[in-house]
Amino acid sequence: MIAAITGTNLLTFLITGLTVGGIYALSALGLVVVYRATGVLNFAQGAVGAIAALTLANEFIGKGRPEALGYIAAVALAIVLSLFYGLVISPRLSRRDPIVRAMGALGFGLFILGFCGWRWTARIQKLDLPTDEWSFKIGEVTVTLTRALVIVLALVVTVAITAFLNKTRVGLSMRSLANDRELSSMLGVDVRRAETVAWLMGGVIAGLSGILFGATKQLDASSLTFLVIPAIAAAVVGQLKSLWWTFAGAMLIGVIEAELTNFNRISPYKDITQLAVGAGVILLLQRSRVVSFVGADR
Amino acid sequence: MKHRAMRKRAVFGAIVALSLVAGACGGDDDDGASDTEAPDATEAPDATEAPDATAAPAGDSPCLVSGEAATGEPIKVGSIQSKTGPDDFSSSGQGAKAFFECVNANGGINGRPVEFLLEDDQWTPEVASQLGAKLVNDEGVVAMVGSSSFVECGVNEPLYEQEGVVAVYGTGVPRECYHSKNISPTNAGPRNSALGIAQYMVSEYGAETMTCISQNIPNVGEWVCTGLVEWGETAGVTVRAVLHDPANPDFISIIQDSVSDNPDAVIVMEPAGLTVPLLAVAEEQDLGDATHWGGPTSQYLAGFPETIGEYWWGRYDVQAELTTIDNTSPDNQAWLATMDEYGEADDPRDTFSQAGWLAAKIFTDTLLAMDPEAITREAVTEAIQNVKAYPSDLNCGDWYFGPGDRHNSNHAGRIVTINDAGEYELVEDCHEHADPELEDILALEESEGLGG
Amino acid sequence: MTRVGRELGRLLPVAIVLLFLAWWIPAYFSSYWLRAFTAAVVYSLAALGVGLLYGRLGLVSLANFALLGVGAWVSLRLALHDPHLPVAANIVVGGVVAAALGTLIGLPALRLRGLYLALVTLMSAGAFFVVINAIGFPEGGSGFTGRGGSGAIRNAPRPSFAENDSAYFRFALAVAILGFALVLVHLRTRPGRAWAMIRRSEAAAYSAGVNVTMYKTWAFTLAGFLAGVAGGLYAANIGRPGTGDFGAASSMLLFGISVSAGSFHLLGAALAGLLARGLPALFSQRGINAEIANMIFGFLLMFSLTAAPEGAAGQLTGLARSMRARLSPRKRRAVSDGEPAGVDDAANGASAAAEVGS
Repeated sequence: MIAAITGTNLLTFLITGLTVGGIYALSALGLVVVYRATGVLNFAQGAVGAIAALTLANEFIGKGRPEALGYIAAVALAIVLSLFYGLVISPRLSRRDPIVRAMGALGFGLFILGFCGWRWTARIQKLDLPTDEWSFKIGEVTVTLTRALVIVLALVVTVAITAFLNKTRVGLSMRSLANDRELSSMLGVDVRRAETVAWLMGGVIAGLSGILFGATKQLDASSLTFLVIPAIAAAVVGQLKSLWWTFAGAMLIGVIEAELTNFNRISPYKDITQLAVGAGVILLLQRSRVVSFVGADR
Repeated sequence: MKHRAMRKRAVFGAIVALSLVAGACGGDDDDGASDTEAPDATEAPDATEAPDATAAPAGDSPCLVSGEAATGEPIKVGSIQSKTGPDDFSSSGQGAKAFFECVNANGGINGRPVEFLLEDDQWTPEVASQLGAKLVNDEGVVAMVGSSSFVECGVNEPLYEQEGVVAVYGTGVPRECYHSKNISPTNAGPRNSALGIAQYMVSEYGAETMTCISQNIPNVGEWVCTGLVEWGETAGVTVRAVLHDPANPDFISIIQDSVSDNPDAVIVMEPAGLTVPLLAVAEEQDLGDATHWGGPTSQYLAGFPETIGEYWWGRYDVQAELTTIDNTSPDNQAWLATMDEYGEADDPRDTFSQAGWLAAKIFTDTLLAMDPEAITREAVTEAIQNVKAYPSDLNCGDWYFGPGDRHNSNHAGRIVTINDAGEYELVEDCHEHADPELEDILALEESEGLGG
Repeated sequence: MTRVGRELGRLLPVAIVLLFLAWWIPAYFSSYWLRAFTAAVVYSLAALGVGLLYGRLGLVSLANFALLGVGAWVSLRLALHDPHLPVAANIVVGGVVAAALGTLIGLPALRLRGLYLALVTLMSAGAFFVVINAIGFPEGGSGFTGRGGSGAIRNAPRPSFAENDSAYFRFALAVAILGFALVLVHLRTRPGRAWAMIRRSEAAAYSAGVNVTMYKTWAFTLAGFLAGVAGGLYAANIGRPGTGDFGAASSMLLFGISVSAGSFHLLGAALAGLLARGLPALFSQRGINAEIANMIFGFLLMFSLTAAPEGAAGQLTGLARSMRARLSPRKRRAVSDGEPAGVDDAANGASAAAEVGS
């Protein structure tokens, strides 16, 4: 009953784990970028990605409209929705608890999810990307360019945003917002501008990741929407702040989960990994923290 | 400022209050079907099995009755579908609905039209229970026909028993649908479907080892793959179950795991929606020739071969719980003609639609033999329970209800393969399934003379 | 004595309304609505615990629908193990087990607050979903999980005195009233005052000799108990729970709805039940496509959070207060004083102060 644990299998699942880790990483990075600058844990991110992917698949590829235009339109839609939520709805919750602000995003996500279900009812659909055509082999596993692209894109996003935060003025304000929102705004940091840039980046990442996930995972609005949960676990590894740790956390979760496939008895339960890693990291990091009575609400 | 805040508050309070009042008034007023058709986006159901328009001559309806539109007192019939949720399983309901619309346009059941109340349980037991109460208690339906649900059987069976209602089910999915006294589905169920394809893997390719991929859901995926394991023990086939969490996005690991011990066959026991990405991954890994691939009737669906792509043409076999969708047999042609004339263009033409249509036909045929003035729930239940063999060319054996404590009349099926041209092609006609769990069913058939 | 008397005077109208509902809803409404209202009553009991944590202590639990699942599982397991066990007792045991797990989930709250605490609880809810998917709900078999190979499937029984829908609605309502009373007793006695002090300032509470650790943990225990009892009611209401309902999203929604319905008022919990279970039933009854209903639902969640900082209950009580004030001009000033500033902390401070004062 137990699949043999061999070197080949270990390598196989290492590779598959990394490709899934890439998916988690990209989502998680989007969450971190937005959270750092705005204090909103964007539960709507997955839904925004889903509507982008479904628009591309159904309104462009499915209807024979130009594909290139479809990619642009899909990402543009994601950006518009992200900015709409970030600049129109979210400010109305700006003085509430972080978790209430996250609930607002959840409401927005549910709205988008309902729209997708109502607008596109096909039972089976698939999103083929041009990058699916190329592939290379590592051990037993064939890695398509799309999957490699997810990992590369996650890396590029990590590097690029790190550089952006360190080198530009807006980046500086975003960093200071992450450290202390109230102090930053008192010191004259242009909060609105920093937030706009963050929601914009969040929209781009949501759109791109939605398309890439739609192509590698089931093209289905609700499963894409709730991919936000493993992403949160990975973001927590980076304390919702560090992009590199987030990336590493996502990869780690992906690999552990995949390797657990080796154990048939545990395999059905392997999804607990992401949750255990997330909760474990939080508890570990807070272990030394004494209840300070005046601690920030984070 | 304060004033504005006050007004806002008043508006919101009013909204809440209104919705409550509206809810209160909703008590005795409703408009039945919650099944508003959303416009379909992509796939128009293919042209491959465009029905023969000449098969149904003008003036002759495809649904048992013919004549003018029925005007008598309506007969209320209920149906519950799992439509909104992880996958749309409402095809059975659409099949039944088309049949009843045909009946109503052609004289009804001895002059009485059928009022078909089609509901969506949204994959939620609580909603299924509310809808059961609504249809059985409030609407007073005479029977449930053509339902198709992932959650409803287990929730509503006690109600059906208590109120003496029978369900001529369309598509039963979980184990509960086959272990209920008052429910008899026209389809065979996923466990039977899995056995059909597994047995074919043995007879056609001489498979000795197999993997069964399914979701780790009790009474669905787990029940199905356990069935294969149990059967394998009696048939000398080693079956390994690869169960995964429904939310797990790691399809490569699932596929790699399923082929890790080089099985002779892999059975993909998933709904069509989830099969597509799994096969995409298997294609990506170029495993099409590494083993033999096949799946259950949920993958026997117009448009499926095109969606999974050319790679799989000539490499994928599917079990069909009812007959092939392009069969030229009379009932199948009648089904196609009904769907064309009375269904929506985007209603799927699949096994589940056949199953719902057949359920409606069985119901109608049974009631046609009754005195139209004496159609009560009690009488209908008795009449349907007395059906010991209902022959149709849609299924292999005869459907029956009978006196059993559980029902699984359909336990034989066909195999189709996706050929090199991307079309389904019949490769094996009616074949009995060797599920050890069917023992009591077969014994009862023998002793009671059920199933013809 | 006079305080108790005043309290009883205030509760009397509520009791009359509840008695009226217990008679009127089964008498007037269809079977469909009766079941929908029962579901709403059950949901409001779970929302009560979540609202208690957030509204009184500022603590967040995104795991309480999972705890409802725990209660449902335990009470179902017991009922199928031995049909002679009284259903009501099974429900209480389910509540106790859920309370124990709730306490466990709440332990991090001793060190964590806000978002991180919320995320830990969310992870617990996710883990529960994975486990419940794997083991399923009991169906009368032997073994720990109580699942039954090939035997007949047995559903959750209802209490022998509440078999039919009308009686079961009254039973659920009675249990819910007991749950609300339990919370009310807490709020009016020592724990309520301790919570109020902790909410305003943990340091102050600590120096005033309040056992902060114990009272925070106890709130989680109580919320878990309420969710677990709701779970037992839920299982017996529908008979056969499905695992698909217990995703982390359900727990998130439970919190979101509790807050948007108003977590500073007990009335909010009742409204949460109506919003979560009554409104979808209304949409379904009106033939509204379920996807569109979901859109409306998402919109309402967003709208109510932005438009009504203290939730729908706050809106309604505010409305009632201002109407009363308009009827008697003398009290007008009091109304504007009592008007919440629109921010959680301020609203809470006000209610906390009210608690301490009482």
